[in-house]
Amino acid sequence: MLEILALALLAAVLSGNLCGAVGFYVQRLKITTLSFSVAHAALAGASLGLILNFDPVYSAMVFAISSALILGFIFTKIKYGRELVSMAIFSASSAIALFAIYMSNVRVLATASIAVVLWGSLLAVTVQKLIILVLVLILFALYILAYRMHIDSMLYDVKMAEAEGLNVQAHMLAMLFFAGVIISLSLRLTGGFLVFALLYNPVAAALQLTRKAYMQLFLSSTLGAVSASTGLVVSYALDWPVGATIAIVSSTILLLAYLFKTATEMARKRKLRNVGGPGAI
Amino acid sequence: MLPLESDIVNLERVWVAYSGSDKPAMRNINLRVSAGKLMLITGPNGAGKTTLLETCLGLLKPYRGRAYLFGVDTRSWRIREARKMCSFVPQDFIKPPFEAYTVRRIIQLGFAPYKSIFESLTEKENERIQWVLELLGIEDLLDRPIGTLSGGQQQRVVIARALSRKPRALYLDEPFSSLDREGRKLVSKVVSEYVKKKGATAIIVSHDVNPIIKYADAIVRMDNGEIISGDCYA
Repeated sequence: MLEILALALLAAVLSGNLCGAVGFYVQRLKITTLSFSVAHAALAGASLGLILNFDPVYSAMVFAISSALILGFIFTKIKYGRELVSMAIFSASSAIALFAIYMSNVRVLATASIAVVLWGSLLAVTVQKLIILVLVLILFALYILAYRMHIDSMLYDVKMAEAEGLNVQAHMLAMLFFAGVIISLSLRLTGGFLVFALLYNPVAAALQLTRKAYMQLFLSSTLGAVSASTGLVVSYALDWPVGATIAIVSSTILLLAYLFKTATEMARKRKLRNVGGPGAI
Repeated sequence: MLPLESDIVNLERVWVAYSGSDKPAMRNINLRVSAGKLMLITGPNGAGKTTLLETCLGLLKPYRGRAYLFGVDTRSWRIREARKMCSFVPQDFIKPPFEAYTVRRIIQLGFAPYKSIFESLTEKENERIQWVLELLGIEDLLDRPIGTLSGGQQQRVVIARALSRKPRALYLDEPFSSLDREGRKLVSKVVSEYVKKKGATAIIVSHDVNPIIKYADAIVRMDNGEIISGDCYA
């Protein structure tokens, strides 16, 4: 059991780290709704994998990557109403996922195969999946380092970057591609409905804690790793569902970050009031 | 008219509409700007000035007519290569107080389209950045985060980025909107000298014509999505 836990813990750290990092980029590039749709496409893929007897990770990956590419292509063609297109894909994907689960032969929602797709499972992590996670981490880091100037230019101002001749569409597609792959791989741990807790909560917490972009990236990926690993350990210790526990931990971290920001903000304002108060010149 | 080799921008009976709108934002526009010219586009709010500028760059595509940038159809995938020879200063350039990119980094990022993977700026490029900053009187802001600067300072920074790239065409959308009188004079002078010395082209959109009018080779006045007066061929 300890071996399984160690494997799951490693996968949790890697998934959390990757989700936190990709969450930072999709938030800065303002493609959050797109990644939301890609995540639900992954859920639809995983659910279809159940009834077609495929490994849910691979069917999720196929669906997530396809939807990322389709959305990326549509987004190069239209500039307005993009959110509506991604919401249409989101609802269609959710419907496919629920139909697939309904049509599968599984009678109880808590069974292991369904849990992998919906709620996440500690037992779902294998050495093979861990190796894939490491490879994705290396590829993502290489991509970010290789195109650092291009990506930074887009993070600063997408329109200016496009007007200066940068291939903005290709980088958006690449980012969505990575989002699709990372979501598919994290799905086994958190489940399809709670993967967002690892994608968006860490970056939301990082935004509360620092204003510097690089620190936000670092904090987002670190908080993602902390949320996933802590959630995993707590779920093991208390026999709670792993995905839900990770979501609760990451939400708690976000709440703490918000309280910390509010407290420091209040202290700063109090200090300013004292400096500029009666008697001050 | 057949496009000329020296044409930087060539719009032929161009109509542009924003998706979801049943009314064209720009109607039947003919415009030709050749190298070494400074064109001023003016008109009231909602006249279609920004739409025209963004159409010239291919950021907006015409649904009728043809738009060419350096002879490349803006619908073609090769438009990115043409854009690399251009610099653009957008109207909405102001960044929020939490934006932490430094002035140095923002200007360096203007060189990103010329860089391949893992490549960073050369010594010469960094020297040019320093020179442009001095030209615009903002060399002391180099390591300041953009979000901490005033609107006028931020505007000078984006103009510095535009000039640092040594563009063959400059597209400036309301470049004087946040500048004081001295700043307007300085930017007008720097831009017009750049156009003259480098044989570059500048298309400047501004509802306030005073700072730049004496340097303009052509003035186009727009209203309600149409060119209502001025010289469309510069």
